[in-house]
Amino acid sequence: MQRRSFLRGITIAAAASTVVTPTMVMGAAPVGANALGIDAAIKAITGGKKTVASSKVHMKAPEIAENGAVVPITVQVDSPMTEADYVKAIHIFASKNGNVRCADVMLTPANGKAMFAARIKLGTSQDVIALVETSTGEFLTAKQNVKVTIGGCG
Amino acid sequence: MAKRKSLIKIKPKKYTTGDIVKVSFMVMHPMDTGTGKDKKTGKIIPAHYINEVKFLFNDKPFTTMKTWESLSANPVFTINFKVPGPGKLKVIFTDNQGEVNETSKKIKPKG
Repeated sequence: MQRRSFLRGITIAAAASTVVTPTMVMGAAPVGANALGIDAAIKAITGGKKTVASSKVHMKAPEIAENGAVVPITVQVDSPMTEADYVKAIHIFASKNGNVRCADVMLTPANGKAMFAARIKLGTSQDVIALVETSTGEFLTAKQNVKVTIGGCG
Repeated sequence: MAKRKSLIKIKPKKYTTGDIVKVSFMVMHPMDTGTGKDKKTGKIIPAHYINEVKFLFNDKPFTTMKTWESLSANPVFTINFKVPGPGKLKVIFTDNQGEVNETSKKIKPKG
């Protein structure tokens, strides 16, 4: 009898623990402060202005990334980078990540050339988008699809 | 507050005033997204990522970056820089848990 009650106690405890952990995980799933959709995130920067897909923006990213945790990207913009005409900012988005925003880079004419390179994380296969803001108020974009074999988020 | 390992690299190594060089800034940082779990304990690792990087030359900022958790762990940031003359290049970086670190490198143009 004693043994039976002891076993029952164990099974109840085990059941309780298995029930509790998944609910805790679901409840604790974080919602980023910047978790916006890709269109909303772009609109927040452009303020509703038109974006133009431009050949001036060169984006280098691998077509197939085996490891989503490390995807090297390079964005280069053809610009004279003088006081009158320079690239003000380069924004980088990953369209299907939990937080679509990767980096905002504010440049000045002191840079000489408009270039930014970094390594980003991609959760699944998706588009990587570069949004370039020039000092004349134009918004240029470039995008490339990257296929990811193993996701790199979490 | 932990001091983070960080480094500034300039390519090419030999440059003169007026040259456009590549400046790479690397830092050892976990860049946790807040969704990953600790494999041993099963607990969620809280978000911990760099959210601001500032590049200064002689204490004058020339490039600022806002970053989010979508950057890889141990990130490398590469930008171009036109060397205006001898001076000191400094990078200040802040993360979302309030750590502020900085690293610097002397700029010595030859010729």
